[in-house]
Amino acid sequence: MMKTKKHPEFFALPGLGQLALSGARPLIGIFLGLLAGAGLIELSGVNPLAAYAAMLNGAIGSPLAISNVLVSASPLLLTGVGVAIGIKAGLWNIGAEGYMYMGALGAGAVGIVPLPLPPIVHIILALLAGAVVAGLWGLVPAYLRAFKGVNEVVTTIMMNYVAQYFTSWMVHEPQPMAEPGAFFPMSRKLVSSAQLPILMPGSSLHPGFIIGIAACILFYLAIRFTPFGFRTRMLGANPEASRYAGVNVKRQILFVLLIGALMGGVAGAVEVMGLKLRVYQDFVSGAGFEGVAVALLAAGNPLGVIASALFFGVLKAGGAAMSVSTGVGGPMTIVIEALCVIFVIAVGYGERKRLERADKPEKEDEEVIQHVG
Amino acid sequence: MSADQIISWLAATLEWGGPLILVSIGEVFAERSGVIDVGIEGIMLCGALVGVAISFLTGNVLLASIGGMFLGFVLGTAFAYLTVTRKTNQVVTGLMFNLAALGGTNLVFALLSATRSHRVTTFPDLFPASFGSIPIIGPVLFKQPVITWIALILPFIAGWVLYHTDWGLNVRAVGDNPKAAATAGLPVIKLKYQAVILSGIFAALGGVALTLGEVGYFASGGLTAGRGFIVLAAVVVGGWDPLKIALACLVFGAADAAQLRMQTGGSIIPYQFLQMLPYLLTLAALAGLVGRTRPPKTWGAPYDPADV
Amino acid sequence: MAQNNDEVAMSMEGITKRFPGVLANDRISLDCRKGEVLGLLGENGAGKTTLMNILYGLYQPDSGEIFINGESVKIESPAKAIQLGIGMVHQHFKLVDTLTALENVILGIPSEHAPVLDLAPARKRLLNLCDEYGFHVDPSTEVWRMPVGKQQWLEILKALYRNARLLVLDEPTAVLTPDEGEQLFRAIRKLTQEGRSVIFISHKLGEVLEITDRITVLRDGHVVGTVPTKEATQLELARMMVGRPVTMERKPRPAVTKKEPVLVMENVNANDDRGLPALRNFNLTVYSGEIVGVAGVDGNGQRELAECITGLRKRTGGSIRIQDRIVDRIMDDPSFVGFIPEDRQKTGLLMDLNVGENLVIKDFWRPMYARGGVLHYNVIRDHARKMIAAYDIRTPSEDVLVRYLSGGNQQKVVVARELNAGPVLVIASQATRGLDLGAVEGVHETLLNERNRGAAVLFISTELQEVMALSDRIIVLFRGEVMGEVDGDGADVSTIGQMMLGKASEVVA
Repeated sequence: MMKTKKHPEFFALPGLGQLALSGARPLIGIFLGLLAGAGLIELSGVNPLAAYAAMLNGAIGSPLAISNVLVSASPLLLTGVGVAIGIKAGLWNIGAEGYMYMGALGAGAVGIVPLPLPPIVHIILALLAGAVVAGLWGLVPAYLRAFKGVNEVVTTIMMNYVAQYFTSWMVHEPQPMAEPGAFFPMSRKLVSSAQLPILMPGSSLHPGFIIGIAACILFYLAIRFTPFGFRTRMLGANPEASRYAGVNVKRQILFVLLIGALMGGVAGAVEVMGLKLRVYQDFVSGAGFEGVAVALLAAGNPLGVIASALFFGVLKAGGAAMSVSTGVGGPMTIVIEALCVIFVIAVGYGERKRLERADKPEKEDEEVIQHVG
Repeated sequence: MSADQIISWLAATLEWGGPLILVSIGEVFAERSGVIDVGIEGIMLCGALVGVAISFLTGNVLLASIGGMFLGFVLGTAFAYLTVTRKTNQVVTGLMFNLAALGGTNLVFALLSATRSHRVTTFPDLFPASFGSIPIIGPVLFKQPVITWIALILPFIAGWVLYHTDWGLNVRAVGDNPKAAATAGLPVIKLKYQAVILSGIFAALGGVALTLGEVGYFASGGLTAGRGFIVLAAVVVGGWDPLKIALACLVFGAADAAQLRMQTGGSIIPYQFLQMLPYLLTLAALAGLVGRTRPPKTWGAPYDPADV
Repeated sequence: MAQNNDEVAMSMEGITKRFPGVLANDRISLDCRKGEVLGLLGENGAGKTTLMNILYGLYQPDSGEIFINGESVKIESPAKAIQLGIGMVHQHFKLVDTLTALENVILGIPSEHAPVLDLAPARKRLLNLCDEYGFHVDPSTEVWRMPVGKQQWLEILKALYRNARLLVLDEPTAVLTPDEGEQLFRAIRKLTQEGRSVIFISHKLGEVLEITDRITVLRDGHVVGTVPTKEATQLELARMMVGRPVTMERKPRPAVTKKEPVLVMENVNANDDRGLPALRNFNLTVYSGEIVGVAGVDGNGQRELAECITGLRKRTGGSIRIQDRIVDRIMDDPSFVGFIPEDRQKTGLLMDLNVGENLVIKDFWRPMYARGGVLHYNVIRDHARKMIAAYDIRTPSEDVLVRYLSGGNQQKVVVARELNAGPVLVIASQATRGLDLGAVEGVHETLLNERNRGAAVLFISTELQEVMALSDRIIVLFRGEVMGEVDGDGADVSTIGQMMLGKASEVVA
């Protein structure tokens, strides 16, 4: 006689049930978030439907609009996938802000030098530099967590600020990277061979989103199909059992957090090489945290990151258009982003806990429940 | 540095440290009860805006403070509901609060465009102006606004509450061993709510202190500039003890004041490294190099009554 | 049941409590007189803890009544229990480590001058209690700094501080040295002289015989009997505690002729999570082709034993060898050691991974599954399907998350994974916990097959019936030591029972 606990047959269908379970949750949360956003828009005196329409138009209404969505999404794709890998392993890597700064510095350092190299080589070098610098940066919280058990959340948040101020110093005169005589602290401009090409004339569209989507797909495949990915999922499911099964838990934690750092570094490098063309003081301003939000909406699934990063891209690009035509400002999109995530985690966790409690016997009586059917 | 510069720096230390201390008062209770209110950055920002708005509308700082504290109460309750009842991840919830507050305050501030470039009523000084002419301690201490004095006295009160009242004892028990607390008959959920709501109230009050303490303006784009996170750092460095935390806040305030001065005047140490100081200290503390590194045992973990 | 209400401090009549699938308390009636020490004896699963939790207001009985001093009462919460004068000293301390002893004692009692904590009168009262009963603790010391023995005192003082007239002590000497134990007994005698009552829960026969006036024995959720201590014999008590109509037949088995030592443990010492000794000079050899059953009341080192052998816990002394390999790291090679852990959800399974994945958590990196750095799920699935068939795992498919399987089927996944590669040593720790009879049968059969194949099997279980049904040899674990060894064939339950209660047998292996 088959014994499954209290779940309708649907959920037992291989894969499908689980997809529905994990896909439905964020959608409900997003819907609630958009609803709340509509309420706020209404409060500020604008018709929410008109506002959302303007947003949609600004996001998909023209090739230019779509290009803006992709540009907005590109750093989120990269930081998002880095955080997502961490989530799969049960780790909270909140250091994306810092990794972006360090990645930008690394790429910038290589990119402002007029090296006699073909662009493709210069670009690759700059990207690598960005990744490496961010990776070294990320080693600190990674090591502390892997080998000393120090909570990675607080350490990565702290490192964010250190990175931000460090970058500020680096782009201030008289540092070698700084632009002399600038009105605002910024680095020198990247030489043209280090800049990412514009894919669509008249837009800001650079290949960053391609790199981002490729990274998401790659990591999805890695998580699903490689031993490393399997170990990561084991760690996230049950560190104790993983340890017994022979996983080197410390090393795994180190690698996973390092990947987050590397991805964040690439994100920062791409932002600078594709969009900003200089390293500006405080340029990240929340994009790293948005990457965390993106990963959360995607429940740690790298393919889901593509969807949620694009969703955020729509919010941002569309938000800019919405602000122009309806007067409801850009900040509103940030609020809506935040509300979506809050609703997603509020809704999501409720479900999970209810499922878990159905399984757990009362602890005090574990000894008594010897022969349960 | 001349004597005048030092005096001015010391005064600024109290000015910048004061709001930090205020925020820390509430946060220490929340963390002691086992909840990390990462959202204090956002709540502080909201308080800053509300303080300016009400002061602009009424010219009454007391009303502004109360208004801010009420908003803090509401936001604190929301945070408590999410993290204690719905058991969401505290860090994520806090970060999203901060994001929402960033956008929200910018939005509302845009509506209040009238307040721009209009310096609103700020907190009055506690002591009469004549006191201010006493050498050294005059400008450093006696010229401080009321709110700074409140900030200096509160840690003592908070410490007393934490260690010498029933409620403080209960909060400490809940954060360290909620199962034992529950067995002893304590209302664990209620206590957590109370502590978190306190963190909201004081975070907002800290925000009010930030704008109405001296400055009198609100600026969009993140006025609080990570000060909420600095308070989180101070709580760790101060070993979850109100007085030590207040001291850490003053140290960080001093660094803040110093780096602001360094930004304009030339100096050998780049000011950015002073800006980094609170965060580096926290890292050192967590890595076990500095101070007491034992957070309340259930720091950051959701509480499930069924687990008793 | 006592007739004279004046004499009876507490009586429980017809207490019944059901949990999903198990009858924890079955019409239990007992009473405790004023000034008496009532011993409560029983194995794990006998229902003692549930009963006491009901008395302390943590659970509500399905039926039955409780009388305190002759009056029928409803105990809805621990607060109510405290009000009625019931004090409970739990086996697992409910102390807040960072608070001082004094703060722990007064926790939950509103102070006289609320909101201010009035520590001075409380301190005085606590110190008086310390002097009165000989439990000396320093009120200002934080609990985490206190040795475990003092923490035990503190738990007792907490109850006395609240004027407990009926004190329930659950395994109070578990963490005490013999001297501290004596001190406890002196205090208990003083308490009873004052007219208070004590319920003394323990499985240490010697202590129970020493300190109690009467003994009530529980078994399988009901009262087997109550005897005055003076008239009780060890044999009688052991029989009452573990003797029951045999529902498990002894399993037939072929004789195994060539036996080699596989697991050799010499003078092994290890500590538990609290730092207290859990294994003391433990010696054991397990040979190929035999099942050695480890009997004993839970909490006598079983968990630490399994963890030391598998390398999950570091030992503090002695040596462990498996086929001449020293155990100094985690034994995660499934062709060498197969481990069915006590807590399958914590150590044995990854609940959020599916059946197929759980079956390969120790092997997924091997070439047969991961060719060219890529996991071949078709191979993993094939393997899973074979295992599902071979071990009769009831699941809609190999893709179902293990979380959704019943306890029995979860266990089968663990068994399949651990035993399929034919390890030389099999360790089964509480392997039938939470399983229905059919699943239990399955596990027994599997272990027997392993034994017949030639593996060395160590079968740790607190269920004496199955130990006796399955084992070639039985050793009894008590306080981390081997109390004695008997032959599995024709083992006498009373002898084993006595060893489980701490009486060393004349014949020690």
